[in-house]
Amino acid sequence: MRNMRTLVATMAAAGTCSLALTVAPQAAAAEDDMAWVSVFHGVPGLTVDVYANGDELLPDFEPGTLTDPQEMAAGSYDIKVFAAGDDPDSDDPAIEKKIDVPAGANATVAAHLDAEGQPQLTAFVNDVSDLDAGKSRLTVRHVAAAPAVDVRAGGQPVFEGLTNPNEDTAEVDAGTVSADVVLAGTDDVAIGPADLDLKEGTTNIVYAWGSAEDENLALKVQTLDGMHSDPASVPAGGNGAAAGANSTDAWLAWSAAGAIALAGGVLVLRRRAGQQG
Amino acid sequence: MTRTTHPRRLPAVLLLALALAVLLNVAAGGGGSAGPEEFGGSTAARAAAEAPPPAATSPKAESDTAGAPGAPEAARPDPPERLRIDRVGLDAPVVPTGVDEDGAAEVPDDPARAGWYRFGPAPGAERGSAVLLGHVDSRTGELGALVALYEVRAGDEVTVERRHGTPARFEVSARRVVPKDDLPKETFARAGPHVLTLITCAPPYDPGRGGYQNNVIVTAVPVSRD
Repeated sequence: MRNMRTLVATMAAAGTCSLALTVAPQAAAAEDDMAWVSVFHGVPGLTVDVYANGDELLPDFEPGTLTDPQEMAAGSYDIKVFAAGDDPDSDDPAIEKKIDVPAGANATVAAHLDAEGQPQLTAFVNDVSDLDAGKSRLTVRHVAAAPAVDVRAGGQPVFEGLTNPNEDTAEVDAGTVSADVVLAGTDDVAIGPADLDLKEGTTNIVYAWGSAEDENLALKVQTLDGMHSDPASVPAGGNGAAAGANSTDAWLAWSAAGAIALAGGVLVLRRRAGQQG
Repeated sequence: MTRTTHPRRLPAVLLLALALAVLLNVAAGGGGSAGPEEFGGSTAARAAAEAPPPAATSPKAESDTAGAPGAPEAARPDPPERLRIDRVGLDAPVVPTGVDEDGAAEVPDDPARAGWYRFGPAPGAERGSAVLLGHVDSRTGELGALVALYEVRAGDEVTVERRHGTPARFEVSARRVVPKDDLPKETFARAGPHVLTLITCAPPYDPGRGGYQNNVIVTAVPVSRD
């Protein structure tokens, strides 16, 4: 039972409801083999109950909802997604998949449509490695029932030919960009434009989800923070004028050093003189 | 006669001793004595660095639908607009700055201005180190506003005027001189107790090695607002 973990999931968009329950992985994990897991619901029109290894993880989970990362034991989880209210013992799950959560990973499990519109589950590992100072990480995941797309920022393609259920990542200068999603190789806007606030030191994961056919394509953004780095240095000098302005102090300091050296030198000389004398 | 028996030894010995003294001087304070002196041994910034890390070591997440009006948003920082240390006559406008292409902190070209490292906390924030920085002098030889940091003393009042809120008030607690390629890691801390960190360059000046070799770092702690 050591590996039982309390999992508190908070659902942001559907009002706020909290729950606490324990879920253990099928394969026992060491005490420190933990992972951070978020769950994204990207199947339009279907409120669901999510079960992990037979225990209810998320009841009445609404489309477009993303949970905060929760610490869970790493290991293998049998994930079943039922239409809300279905009986997990007698009804068939809408989606079922075994998900491996590697130790130390930050992962998002997405329930979404495949390119043809069939519900499925995909586990993505989130890149939370450190960024250079001033940078932000932009990841786009294609989890929509739609063909290949290009993602543009400020009108310029950032990712091209992205297909379901794949992702692409880039490190970009921090700042706000206007992003949109177009059918690959065209200017036909499928989603957006939307302003993305790419804060420095954060990983921003954009889910393109929904269905082109049902005209409910949308974007969902997951932001993970804490990947910032410090600037390498502070080059705050010019031509040395301030060193000159401060030359009295500096001269005194260097003179002191010289005096000590001189004293040392004299001492050495005296000693030598004594030995010979 | 004994003193003149080794006339050629004298410069060599002196040179060696002088080199040693210089080395010791550099090792002791990074050349700190050649420029502003240090004070305030235990800085708040150091305390911040020693403080336990924030409860969650994991990345936190915030999520919202892109572009949705009224989406939840983290508290916006209140940008600083003016830095004043009245006792030493420092009064400089402050502009937001970021990172240059070399990954160094960007410093305003105009030495009369101070920059605020906008990716870190703002002065008056709840936690972390708010960094204001400025050139000590310009390429053409004007002295910068932040050369006044050479004159500050423990207890000097520091006022940061802000765009939205009332001025944030601090009191100088420490000054350190560090090699410019070895800034203390707490300098840009985003967590821990809130401090104001003021940075400019400090001697020695070596044109062959990129100019100033040190940074002077003045730490100021918040004064309770009554």
